[in-house]
Amino acid sequence: MDKLNIIIDDQKLVVDKGMTILEASLSNDIYIPNLCYDPDLKPVSVCRLCMVDVEGKGLTISCQAPVEQDMIVRTHSPEVDKVRKKIAELLIVNHLPDSSRSNKDEKNKLVKIAAYLGIKKKDLMPFRKPDKKINIDTSNPFFDRDLNKCVLCGICVRTCEEIERLGAIDFIHRGYDTTIGTFANRPLKESTCESCGECLVRCPTNALRPKKFETPEREVKTTCVYCGVGCGIYLGVCNNKIIGIRGDRDNPVNKGVLCVKGRFGYDFIHHPERLTSPLIKKNNKFVKVSWEEALDLIAEKFSHCKGENFATLSSAKCTNEENYLLQKFTRTVMATNNIDHCARLCHAPTVAGLVQSFGSGAMTNSISEISRAACILAIGTNTTAAHPVIALKIKEAKEKGATLIVANPKEIDLCRHADIFLQHQPGSDVALLMGMMRVIVDEGLLEETFIEKRCENFQAFKESLNNFDLGFVQKTTGVPKEKIIKAAQIYATKKPSAIFYAMGITQHTHGTDNVLATSNLALLTGNIGKPSTGVNPLRGQNNVQGACDLGALPNVYPGYQKVDNLDVKKKFESAWGCSLSDKAGLTHLEIFDAIYNKKIKILYLMGENPVLSEANAKHVKAALKKLEFFVAQDIFLSETAKFADVVLPAASFAEKDGTCTNTERRIQRVRKAIEPIAEARPDWWIICEIAKRLKARGFDFTHPSQVMDEITSVTPSYQGISYARIEDIGLQWPCTSLKHPGTQFLHANKFATKSGKARFMSLEYKPPAELPNNRYPFILTTDRSLYLFHTSTMTRRVKGLDELNSQELLNINPNDAAELGINDGEMVQVISRRGKVKVRTKLTDICTPGVVSMTFHFAESPTNIITNSAMDPVAKIPETKVCAVQIKKLRK
Amino acid sequence: MAISVREKKGIRVARNKRTVIVCHGTGCISSGSPAVTKRIEKEIKKKGLKGVELKITGCHGFCQRGPVVIVEPDHIFYPEVTTKAIPEIVNSHLKNNTPVEHLFYKDPITSKPIPHYTDIPFYNKQKRLITLRNCGHINPEVIEDYIAIGGYESLKKTLLGMTPEGVIKEIKKSGLRGKGGAGFPTGKKWQFCHDAPGPKKYMICNADEGDPGAFMDRSILEADPHSVIEGLVIAGYAIGSDEGYIYVRTEYPMAVKRIKIALHQAHKHGFLGNGILSTDFNFKVKVMEGAGAFVCGEETALLASIEGKSGKPLPRPPFPAQSGLWGKPTTINNVKTLASIPIIISKGAGWHSHIGTKDCKGTAVFAITGNIANCGLVEVAMGTTLRDIIYEIGGGIPGGKIFKAVQTGGPSGGCLPASFLDYPIDYESLVAAGSIMGSGGMVVMDEDTCMVDIARYFLDFTQRESCGKCVPCRLGTKQMLDILRDITKGKGSPDDIDLLIELSEAIKTGSICGLGKTAPNPVLTTLRYFRDEYEAHIKYKRCPAAVCKEIISSPCQHVCPIDTEAPAYISYIAHGRFKDAFQIIRRDNPLLSVCARVCHHPCESKCQAGKWGDPIAIRSLKRFAGDYALKTGIYKTAKKQRKGKERIAIIGSGPAGLMAGYSLANKGYAVTIFEALDIIGGALAVYIPEYRLPKKILNADIENIKNSGVEIKTNMKVGKDITLNELLKNYKAVFIATGAHKSRRLNISNEDADGVIDAMEFLRQINCKKEVKIGNVVGVIGGGNAAVDAARVAARLKDCKKVFVIYRRTRKEMPAFKEEVDAAIEEGIEIQYLTAPVRIITKGKKLTGVECVRMKLGDIDESGRRRPVPISGSEFVISLDNLIVAIGEETDTLFIRDTKGIELSKRGRIVVSEETFATGLKGVFAGGDVVTGPNTVIDAMSSGKIAAEMIDKYVRGKEVVREYSLTRPSVYVPPVKLREDEIEESKRPNAQCLSIKRRVNNFDEVELNMTSDLAIKEARRCLRCDLETEDAKIVLESKSKKKKAKKRG
Repeated sequence: MDKLNIIIDDQKLVVDKGMTILEASLSNDIYIPNLCYDPDLKPVSVCRLCMVDVEGKGLTISCQAPVEQDMIVRTHSPEVDKVRKKIAELLIVNHLPDSSRSNKDEKNKLVKIAAYLGIKKKDLMPFRKPDKKINIDTSNPFFDRDLNKCVLCGICVRTCEEIERLGAIDFIHRGYDTTIGTFANRPLKESTCESCGECLVRCPTNALRPKKFETPEREVKTTCVYCGVGCGIYLGVCNNKIIGIRGDRDNPVNKGVLCVKGRFGYDFIHHPERLTSPLIKKNNKFVKVSWEEALDLIAEKFSHCKGENFATLSSAKCTNEENYLLQKFTRTVMATNNIDHCARLCHAPTVAGLVQSFGSGAMTNSISEISRAACILAIGTNTTAAHPVIALKIKEAKEKGATLIVANPKEIDLCRHADIFLQHQPGSDVALLMGMMRVIVDEGLLEETFIEKRCENFQAFKESLNNFDLGFVQKTTGVPKEKIIKAAQIYATKKPSAIFYAMGITQHTHGTDNVLATSNLALLTGNIGKPSTGVNPLRGQNNVQGACDLGALPNVYPGYQKVDNLDVKKKFESAWGCSLSDKAGLTHLEIFDAIYNKKIKILYLMGENPVLSEANAKHVKAALKKLEFFVAQDIFLSETAKFADVVLPAASFAEKDGTCTNTERRIQRVRKAIEPIAEARPDWWIICEIAKRLKARGFDFTHPSQVMDEITSVTPSYQGISYARIEDIGLQWPCTSLKHPGTQFLHANKFATKSGKARFMSLEYKPPAELPNNRYPFILTTDRSLYLFHTSTMTRRVKGLDELNSQELLNINPNDAAELGINDGEMVQVISRRGKVKVRTKLTDICTPGVVSMTFHFAESPTNIITNSAMDPVAKIPETKVCAVQIKKLRK
Repeated sequence: MAISVREKKGIRVARNKRTVIVCHGTGCISSGSPAVTKRIEKEIKKKGLKGVELKITGCHGFCQRGPVVIVEPDHIFYPEVTTKAIPEIVNSHLKNNTPVEHLFYKDPITSKPIPHYTDIPFYNKQKRLITLRNCGHINPEVIEDYIAIGGYESLKKTLLGMTPEGVIKEIKKSGLRGKGGAGFPTGKKWQFCHDAPGPKKYMICNADEGDPGAFMDRSILEADPHSVIEGLVIAGYAIGSDEGYIYVRTEYPMAVKRIKIALHQAHKHGFLGNGILSTDFNFKVKVMEGAGAFVCGEETALLASIEGKSGKPLPRPPFPAQSGLWGKPTTINNVKTLASIPIIISKGAGWHSHIGTKDCKGTAVFAITGNIANCGLVEVAMGTTLRDIIYEIGGGIPGGKIFKAVQTGGPSGGCLPASFLDYPIDYESLVAAGSIMGSGGMVVMDEDTCMVDIARYFLDFTQRESCGKCVPCRLGTKQMLDILRDITKGKGSPDDIDLLIELSEAIKTGSICGLGKTAPNPVLTTLRYFRDEYEAHIKYKRCPAAVCKEIISSPCQHVCPIDTEAPAYISYIAHGRFKDAFQIIRRDNPLLSVCARVCHHPCESKCQAGKWGDPIAIRSLKRFAGDYALKTGIYKTAKKQRKGKERIAIIGSGPAGLMAGYSLANKGYAVTIFEALDIIGGALAVYIPEYRLPKKILNADIENIKNSGVEIKTNMKVGKDITLNELLKNYKAVFIATGAHKSRRLNISNEDADGVIDAMEFLRQINCKKEVKIGNVVGVIGGGNAAVDAARVAARLKDCKKVFVIYRRTRKEMPAFKEEVDAAIEEGIEIQYLTAPVRIITKGKKLTGVECVRMKLGDIDESGRRRPVPISGSEFVISLDNLIVAIGEETDTLFIRDTKGIELSKRGRIVVSEETFATGLKGVFAGGDVVTGPNTVIDAMSSGKIAAEMIDKYVRGKEVVREYSLTRPSVYVPPVKLREDEIEESKRPNAQCLSIKRRVNNFDEVELNMTSDLAIKEARRCLRCDLETEDAKIVLESKSKKKKAKKRG
């Protein structure tokens, strides 16, 4: 970067060209008072406090003036001091009325500025005091809005606009009456505000202030526990208690930005319902017991049940080390490959599909590349709700000029930013994508050299396109031809183009086909192996990538090494010092079927809640009742854990060390901030204790870093990882040696397939397993809420989050509702062939007629009672995105 | 030869065809021009006149006199035309070629009719050459009209014969500067945008005129929209733009309508659109209607508004020429600038650069409003003086009021005082004076304007219009407004002025846009030129113009030098409670019967009822109350005060001395007044003639004062019969109130001739019943009360047949009371105005006449009146038997000339502290005419009243300082309920006087008392200003609550 020489207050400085005078000063520790400046936002120069004297130019507002070569700047001059002081006095007189709150005002920049400028009480005496007093908006559960302290610097407005791109608040009224308000000046809670708190952390004057505010004794750097984005955070600790969270500005994933769950969703850690000691069910009642008693009982039971009668369900919420240990325990101690975890319910088709196409089943590119994409196709992802921080990157790309194509059966929030919105029928993704590819091939927009050099099986694929003439596609998807053509043209020509998808693609009986369709599209246009391109599955849980990577799957060892490969088997037998089974184990649904059929007698479940998360949940419950022995390990007594014989209290993410791998394959540290609550223990410790009681070798770990050392020795893609290397910033796999810098995007020169070439896959359209008929006329599709996570074990134990989204809602098109005579907010019954739930309606045209949607966050309205468990034949994922339902008005 | 646009379009040019032009500007429409037009049409038809064209035009500028009708080619101008006058105009003028003289415009001073608008000063002093050249001459809704006078020829000239660079060069050469306010050179502005890279540029016409009282842009759009469009297209061509916007306020519906019609027509005629005039130049124009925010006149805010964002300014740079509308290079020009372009192109840069001053070329357009005779729209050359604009074109200040200030540049401009009247106006000179040209608003203010209140008013506007984006403007203007509001409520503190100045500086330097950068200007200039008014409000709780409600309560009370509670006694009279009324008056005024006859009643001059009708006859009501008391015998009720020990001496028994004596006696002092003459009352007794103030009345008041315990020693001349030192020894304090009794001299030749009489001497002798002999013809020189008194007294003398008063200015400037002058004229006295004596003509030692010279009024002197200048060669002689000289009085202070500690001025007046009336000598105070020179009765009384308070403080050993408080009545009298017919009543009753016949040859009192019915009727007309203050409202509310409670209870 070009450098310039400037002099500020007689100090000779060398600064970057393009900096403003204010930035140059602040970066050299020369303070200039300022209120409306924020390094993340565009300068607006409204507070006028940052004025300086520039030789030859006079009084200059420094936050907007770029530095120039040989510029001479003085932060003080008689005129600057005089004018600045008056402006500051005006601000103080109007916005700092009560000194009683002064202890809370320690973070108030205005207090600091007053001290810096030497403003005394008597200086303010001649001023007239404001007569208006504005009521404090306390509607938001996490923070208050005190407009009496608001200096209208607009940082909150700009944050909402420039970072969140939400525009929930703006300036209202004008002149002296200007305030900041929501649409129609309603309280925050009734507005479109998403409570992300980004404005809160930037507010310079405490006008926005947290409801509970304590200064932490210390802060611990770690990784967020919620979604797969893996935002870097700091936990604020006071008296062995987590009292706050702030974003880690150095983390490359989120650069300090957080969503509402990430910033405020920590109350569950100290929730009174946390499990505080091991429990054993005696006479159908849980009784608190010692760890000794519980572990002994488990060891005793497990010792009689090794082999195929045993199954474990691991957890994408647990660390890499814990997943590694659990699969090792299952395989080496219990001698079975019957291990799976909830990835089966979300991204199994991704793993299955992308491995077929590219040889590796992960997000091909990185989060930091998103903003430089020229075209983004977001299909089957409600990004703003499920991956809010990635959604911000997509919006940023859009702001920078990218074209955004959103394909979704529902008109989700991201559509507000979309250039093209393809509202296709649930389950018609293959048709839609193949239709687009047909256009690309027909119009010759394909990348021929790329296909020729780096792909195989193109001809067969091309022939399979013949089945997708646009008439058929339009009819199947419900999307007008013209839109499909336009989307195809843009995706193929505006490069780099990146595809993002999530559950909308995978949770289908043809989920693998859907994934293959996305990879075909990327290959066809050469949008892979380059920055800001790729096929990017957005992983749901914070460590779903790691749990898969480390072999919590029935068919692979860590690093996707197949259990039925004899070389691999040999390698692991020698590494672990035992003999292993070469028979792939059962998948998630298969395990429950096996339990139901009494083939599996003991289940060891770590941190999962299938009673709510599994499709056709009734079946799950029925199965659980048939187990001979069931151990559940969790931080709360979940709906599933209630069925257990022994419940083990696990430590939360704040109470243990380890690593997690986020959606972009980045292995990041999770750090212990506090001691485990009561008798709770880290999962890795519990696994090791059980293993040790079963006389197993290879479980003598005292710290997860030791586990990681073992992981790297058997997992090629993790080979270069060590705790030391990921101390500050995590590394992205493949990272094959200690010198390997990690991999930002995959398949740059070579695909991970055997041949090194990507494989086009021929596809045909398959309808969803269950389609509406007269009796069940609606398609129910499942969705997520921004405020709640998964089965809400954690988020509904955060009071504020529960308050922001307190009940299940059935989204239904007003036309459908009118036909059924249903009003907004009315309780109805949703019935499928498998069961029924009661739920309140929300009339909204984000759903097209005939399609309704629900989340699955609420135990009171367990949506998965009605969803379909029909599976994708390859990935064995149930089709939770489509099932046929009827909606019944409840008689009063 | 190229075919002109006119020929090409086949436009017929009507020459010498009789055309009746009716102004259809917004002003004339609101005063009824559409009805006038209809009527003319009807009458023409009725009379079957052929060859007469009726034409509607935009604004003529003379909005004050609308509806305006002009008959061309005769140039005949009919102002304020009503439908009733139409038949006469049509019949006499249009049919019979005899213009209707009685409908002509009349000179406001000479009342002479002026038939041709070219001769009316409002027009002929203007230079309507550039911006307003077509206004009022063409029908704005007919493009052929515009083409017929050469419209769109300039567009043709540029598109066919000039390069864009050539156009810019020409405009640069012409010296044209932006007429939107800042005066940035237009050519330079175009050059920036022309040079900016990129294929897409925008050309914007800024018609967001938002200043209160400004209507230039509006009128131009209404009167001459095609000039603006032509200018816009030429500008677009010059900068390389193909798209223009006209940003105009929605609340200008007619401007919007006419510009839209014009655009449509221009498009149809090929002056807009693709391939204009068959060239490859394309230009389209959109009209953008703004929602009426003042700040949207600021360029960046305007751009934001066009883009659909809220109209808030952005910091510059980048300038619009680099990054404007939607980020593209943009030029924004004001309506007036663009309207000037076509004529400059057609007449050439040289023509334009010859108009105006060295640095400011061309003309400026102003909308003059406020306290001025001719409100309207004017165009003058740069460098014209404010005096020319205000007095020549504007016709001066109406109602005989005095010019106080002129505010230029709208709410962000400044107020300039009279000393700037001869200041040539251009961009730089106005900035140097602390104001700005702005968009051309010009508000003229007279003496009844409070400058603090004006500053508050303008700041209230800018504060309201501040967008609120940047701190200094948002909070600073509000803070300043709060301070100003407090000052106008009498709640200001001495620190406030400094704080206002500091805040102004911070706002001016700290704000983002022009609104904030100029908002403090009205405050800064009023502080600069009228700081004393601020101080009067803050320190003395006075509003000199009697405007600020919370300070003055009712203006009549506020301006009374002795704080008489006029509203209280007027309302008591309205309720029929005459005794209460009398007691209220008497409490403050021992000379109430005197004042009821001779006071110059400043109360009436500020009476609010006088703003829309006649002021309340306050003095007559006072007389009614006083006479009622005399008649009913309740008059002599002044209690004799217990005589105190401390003795106070007063020298002089005139109004000041009597007032001081009464006040001190009431405070318990033993007061002795020393009077040199043998009669008591000073000037009241010796100069005011009996027919104005009967001795009986005066003596009743004096008796009352004596009753209160004041001892009066006559024939005791201090310096002769007793020395000042003796007084100082025997009395705790001395108050000197010896008045001004020496007549001033004329200083012309033969002044000492026989027959020349000193007016003071003359009046004194008459009043002392001494015989005075005068001849048949008497001249009186002077215009003051003494002159008029002398003239009226002379006229009553037996031998006198004819009296002339010779005065060098006009009736308007005469200092004598109006009713006195009226009475003198009634009584047959002839006043020679604008006449001054040059020398006295004698025969031997005896006067035979006086040679006079005629005067004319010139510039304004320091008294605020126009200075009389002799017209050489106009000398003439008036033959006289006697000449009474009454040109002013001087004090006689010989008796204290050498007293140590007492300072005398050059004119022999005693110098005292303005606030306390203390002289330099401890214990000696002075007041009345001996301090001020000849002055009014009530002012002398005021000095006596204040001096008494100060003396009391002095004697009691307290610090001798004044305490000031807001003006408030001591009682709140509930208002009377008015009948419907009374509410509209605006006339005061004529003063009841003796008939002329019964006046001559005697000294009976001329003015008669009111009947009680009439007094009540008049009192009920009072608008009760005293009830409008915040505390009055509180008092009245609690009163009415108590009353209701009583009723219920």
